[in-house]
Amino acid sequence: MTLFDRVFNGSDAVYGLTEGAINAAIEKHGADKEVSFPNTAYSLPCYYGVTGTKVTNLGELKDALGVAKSLMTREKRLNDAFMSGVATALCAEFIEVLKYIDGAEPYSEPCYGHLADAVIRELGVPLVTGDIPGVAVILGKAPTADDAAALVKSYQAQGILVTLVGDVIDQCAEKGVNMGAGVRVIPLGKDVTAVIHVVSVAIRAALIFGNVAPGDAGALMKYTFERVPAFVNAFAPLDDVVVACGAGAIALGFPVITNETENIFRVPKSLIVQEDVSKFNATSLEARDIKIKITDINIPVAFASAFEGEIIRRKNMQVEFDGSRVDCFELVQTKDASEIEDHKIEVIGPDFDEFEFGSKHSIAYIVEVAGKSMQSDFESVFERKFHSYINCIEGVMHTGQRDMIRVRISDTAFQAGFRAKHIGEVLYAKIKNDFDAVVDKCQVKIYTDAEKVTELRHSLAIPAFNKRDDRLKSLTDESVDVYYSCILCQAFSPSHVCVVTPERLGLCGAVSWLDAKATNELEPTGPCQVITKERVIDERIGEYEDVNEAVKKFSNGALEDVSLYSIMEKPMTSCGCFECICGIEPFSNGVIIANREYAGMTPLGMTFPELASMTGGGVQTPGFMGHGKHFIASKKFMKAEGGIERIVWMPKDLKEQVAERLNATAKELYGIDNFTDMVGDETIAEDPETLLEFLTEKGHPALGMEPMM
Amino acid sequence: MPLNKKLQKFSATVRSVELGTGDKTTTLGGSNTYPFYTFDNPTTNTAKIGIEISDLGLAEEPDCMKEFYAGCETVVDMAKKAVTVEGADFLVLKLIGGDPNGENKSIEELVETAKSVADAVDFPLVVEGCKNVEKDSQLLPKVAEALQGKNVLLMSAKEENYKNIGAAAGLAYDQLLGAESAVDINLAKQLNVLIKQLGVDVGKVVMNVGSAAAGYGFDYCISTLDRVKGAALGQSDDSLLMPIITPVADETWSVKEASASEEDVPEWGSVVERAIDMEITTAVACLSCGSDAVILKHPTSIAAVASMIKALV
Amino acid sequence: MALTGIQIFKLTPKKNCKECGSPTCMAFAMKVAQGAVGIDKCPYMSEDAIAQLSEASAPPMKTIEIGKKPFADNKNDTDASFKLGGETVLFRHEKTFVNKTRYASTVSTAMDAAKVDQILTDMAKIDYERIGDRMYVEFIAVDHTDGASADAYAELAKKAAAANRALILNVKDEAAAAAALEAVKDTKPVLNGADASNYEAMNKLATGADVVLGVTGSNVDEIYDTIAAIEKLGNKKLIVDLGSVSVKDAFANAVLLRRACLDKNPDRTAGYPTIANVAKLAPGDAHMQTALATLFTMKYGSIVIVEEMTYAQALPLYGLRQNLFTDPQKAPRIEPGIYPINGAEENSICLTTVDFALTYFLVSGELERSGVPCNLLISDAGGLSVLTSWAAGKFSAGSIAKYIQEFDIENKIKNRTLVLPGKVAVLKGDLEAKLPDWNIVVGPTEAVQLVKFLKDMQANGQA
Repeated sequence: MTLFDRVFNGSDAVYGLTEGAINAAIEKHGADKEVSFPNTAYSLPCYYGVTGTKVTNLGELKDALGVAKSLMTREKRLNDAFMSGVATALCAEFIEVLKYIDGAEPYSEPCYGHLADAVIRELGVPLVTGDIPGVAVILGKAPTADDAAALVKSYQAQGILVTLVGDVIDQCAEKGVNMGAGVRVIPLGKDVTAVIHVVSVAIRAALIFGNVAPGDAGALMKYTFERVPAFVNAFAPLDDVVVACGAGAIALGFPVITNETENIFRVPKSLIVQEDVSKFNATSLEARDIKIKITDINIPVAFASAFEGEIIRRKNMQVEFDGSRVDCFELVQTKDASEIEDHKIEVIGPDFDEFEFGSKHSIAYIVEVAGKSMQSDFESVFERKFHSYINCIEGVMHTGQRDMIRVRISDTAFQAGFRAKHIGEVLYAKIKNDFDAVVDKCQVKIYTDAEKVTELRHSLAIPAFNKRDDRLKSLTDESVDVYYSCILCQAFSPSHVCVVTPERLGLCGAVSWLDAKATNELEPTGPCQVITKERVIDERIGEYEDVNEAVKKFSNGALEDVSLYSIMEKPMTSCGCFECICGIEPFSNGVIIANREYAGMTPLGMTFPELASMTGGGVQTPGFMGHGKHFIASKKFMKAEGGIERIVWMPKDLKEQVAERLNATAKELYGIDNFTDMVGDETIAEDPETLLEFLTEKGHPALGMEPMM
Repeated sequence: MPLNKKLQKFSATVRSVELGTGDKTTTLGGSNTYPFYTFDNPTTNTAKIGIEISDLGLAEEPDCMKEFYAGCETVVDMAKKAVTVEGADFLVLKLIGGDPNGENKSIEELVETAKSVADAVDFPLVVEGCKNVEKDSQLLPKVAEALQGKNVLLMSAKEENYKNIGAAAGLAYDQLLGAESAVDINLAKQLNVLIKQLGVDVGKVVMNVGSAAAGYGFDYCISTLDRVKGAALGQSDDSLLMPIITPVADETWSVKEASASEEDVPEWGSVVERAIDMEITTAVACLSCGSDAVILKHPTSIAAVASMIKALV
Repeated sequence: MALTGIQIFKLTPKKNCKECGSPTCMAFAMKVAQGAVGIDKCPYMSEDAIAQLSEASAPPMKTIEIGKKPFADNKNDTDASFKLGGETVLFRHEKTFVNKTRYASTVSTAMDAAKVDQILTDMAKIDYERIGDRMYVEFIAVDHTDGASADAYAELAKKAAAANRALILNVKDEAAAAAALEAVKDTKPVLNGADASNYEAMNKLATGADVVLGVTGSNVDEIYDTIAAIEKLGNKKLIVDLGSVSVKDAFANAVLLRRACLDKNPDRTAGYPTIANVAKLAPGDAHMQTALATLFTMKYGSIVIVEEMTYAQALPLYGLRQNLFTDPQKAPRIEPGIYPINGAEENSICLTTVDFALTYFLVSGELERSGVPCNLLISDAGGLSVLTSWAAGKFSAGSIAKYIQEFDIENKIKNRTLVLPGKVAVLKGDLEAKLPDWNIVVGPTEAVQLVKFLKDMQANGQA
């Protein structure tokens, strides 16, 4: 028997039952007899939602059955199975509504049956906000009553709304599970048709909260799929009726998880067999893509930003891990979801209580993450947060990054019970919370076994860091498809927009292309938006139609066009938080660069503050531009005017900071060795004449270049 | 030769949001010029003024307000008196008593107060929470539920709690939603986008883009209002076309110019006059930059601002 | 369209002679482009270049100076006058507004001497400092009413001049105007009385006395035409009286003129400062005058005349003006120092935050609300918000410790508890090391939480 056969058989069986029940009711009460569910403005909500037609009496109900029948097509295609499933659900609703004839109260404690509109409005709000992260529909009879109770409680602990249909209700009652709308465990009814009352909730949620027009079945199913995080747990044995209902659930976007192995057909993401009932919870959450917010971090000491600046002195130090003396490292790694057991925290090696007071050891912690939107580029973004995460633990101090970390645990934290696994708890909780947009699953491995750490450092960490550095080096403006805007500074520089590219980080020096990308992914409506660069206007100065459109939009119309690589033509604007300003020095045919820390005079006759006052505020000032320090060694630095060869002067401190990278670029682009030796600084000249003498003496290439203006 | 007038026509119009039900409604927004620039285009809808009272009654109010509301025993009495004030277009009930760091009144009690006020007056109503983010996220949905059918404006949903308040006010109970952000055009925009993504009809959203008293960092308010209006009209920026409501009294009555006693600063003269003028100046400054509605406290300020609005349109 | 610094530089002699006062021609060109210096400062510009630059760099809106010592804001610089106009943008976020609105009280020939004295005395009482600016009524409007004699008007003007304020002579009567000018022209008043019917005579009086002439009309076209006619007579020392036909008209006039002169194709005939006489727009209604004075402060009034400025009006108006005319790109700052709150003394707890004015106002407001006596210690953090200044290294354990030393805090305050903004909790350890005698407490991250925080500290006997 195929899955189709089972669905169609179930569907036919329910249809037959329904037809019989309606006919019997008409015989008994007449076709004009009113039918309705109590306390709803949506008639028979499922039927009304799917068709847009309200049913008021038995005669109309009979007509509605005809409509349901028309959905029960029998081609062996997935859609036929789904629509038969939906029709089965509608039949279930018809059978249920018959129970309410004459104002009857067919359900009694603890079962609820039909739920009033008011309940849906009340439950709908937390559903929309995510305070109720999911809706579990548990159906049938669990292998044991203990299994039933454990499953319900596991969902309850996660804030998931649980609805129960069938024998599982008695099983929960037997185990004393507290049930009721208040505790978010709602027993609906013991007949399988009672499942319609939770479908009714989903449908009305779409009508009320999604503004879906009744009868617009497509919009309805889209809404339930995207916005109602429901799923079905159906216990074996499954009869054809349940299978048919399951097809209806799948049609609405709700996956079915079952422990039935006989005569069942797995459908990826939709019909999942999980033989181990204790894993229903994890399997369901993964299938429906439900993420549970972590509200408490389970550690024996406090966790708050107030402890971020805490310093742990040697005398209060229980144990220290010092990457400058022994092997230590911290690392984030992207894995496949199947390789990760969410919230698994492993300690490999001795725990803190096996170390002597005041002793030094190796440590490594590897945070492994998986997620559909996870990208390995985010690894370093997460890793940079570790410093703050670990520092926020009361009694723990952290400095450094990568394989140069130092972690100290205080004696008081230790005495309070703080152990290695708690570092894992903190990292797990913070990563899951802060990056829930991209991280679906996370596990942490903590190594304190010195040999193992040494081995992993060389076999795993260092290659990973090197790979990352290589990736950064290979990231060029040409190698990526999109750039990002950054408008973090608009609060005080309203018309300024930074266009962040791989080779040109934000002018504040704080936002790299990777940062902007991660920010965009994590906060899609935030300050960093995708900018495409498909329509080139002028390759030389780096002007694109789409970049211009973006700049105009994000500057609210204040700025019409910018070039990415020129300081003379449509230069990028500056907000005011630039690390450096470069400005044209006409006498030497080059540019000088001044950094914020530099307090003296420049050969332009202007100090940094004077330059800043002309360059800031989101206006284009040809000849002058704010930028980050890192940009100085970029191959894109004023590329249109000839690139870094134009740099004739910068303060000594700055020159020393950028020398290595700048010289490398000069060597690569022009074959010049020790380029910075040709660049003036304040010890050489603070006026253009002396500077020119110096440059002439050194044979600075700018002197022989095309005039800049 | 006459002046070559550079009139400014915008294709966008700030959305009109109707507050209240039946005969007693008032419309916020709806203009398509900078404030009071009737020479660019005649104004179809004028700026509006709300009069505020709080669930705390008169306990925390300055003497001049105690005098005005003399004889009022309950918040409902005050509401009835407030709606008679000349120039007031809507009533604002602030549920300050909910503040967990203050009176910490229960949600049931506050909802009861809101309900009794809404039932007692036939007037467009705005209900403000206690400003505690967590409490408001519980309180305002309950208020929205209790006042179903009254078409009230609930203030405010902020970035931290917009989901709860937005889902309740905007989706479950079909009320109007106030979106509050802190004096920054991009924050305002972002919150509006998030609210839209939640599924709330943007035609039912009013925004409070932040406020301050004149002299107290008010420069940020000016620029935020100017820029929001400019982007909304000039760029037809859909995520900024909501009408703007600015709670002015909240800011002005506590600054020292408006509250220092006459004994402490005799040279400054009447404290009532100072409070009124501070309220007038701040309100007019907000209106002149882009607020479509202001919330005030004193009947004299309301009268003055209302007559200025009348004179300008 | 204004020229860029680079374009101007090309017109300079490029010899870095420094005679203009700038170290290089480039620096000079950039300053000219910003409007900070005139091109005439360079002795070597060719006539051609000057002509080209004058055309491009002439400001669209004129800056007009009124009044003479000792009316200046800066008490040390007694030769300065009040500059009005010279604005370059319509909205403050585009660029700093240049010359702030000034205010005037009114005396009139319809008043008896006692009333005039009372107004002048009351006006003089409003004189205080707010964040570094002197706040006072800078102008007196002297109104001539129908039937008043020239002598009486001249006497009134003289009396007003004796009050040490700049004058606006609101007079249409030629004889009275002449008499008053004769009496007070040395104070460089505005002769505000020209309209389409009398501008020739008034212009003659104004140019004769070398004072600024105020021009008005029944609508914006008439005002504009009259200005054009006076400009033709060679006088460009003008100010526009926005008129008193109606509030709506006066407001329209203010916006339309400002917009016309700041247009991409500037109409310089519309580019003069303005007088908004709200005393005449809402006579006898002080609250309406407050509303209108605010409106015209916000929208393009250079001088706003009320009947009698009171403290109640001045406090919010002057505060608003101070906010409106700040540089939108520079955060307003508070002077570093010790700010005692709620009657704090040397044994009261200390809190510290940055010198960014907005932060200060928020924090001090909440501290006041708490009712707990405390000392707010403000150090120089570059006028940035807490996190920004911390990120820029301007609000660090070092900077706070240095401030404590420089301001001699340890001798001025005996209490040794210092509350740190929660957002810079990270400084705690460093600060403990630098200030070993102090108990460093991490406060809340948001100002609104301070009330509860301090009350809790007080309840625990810590504050």
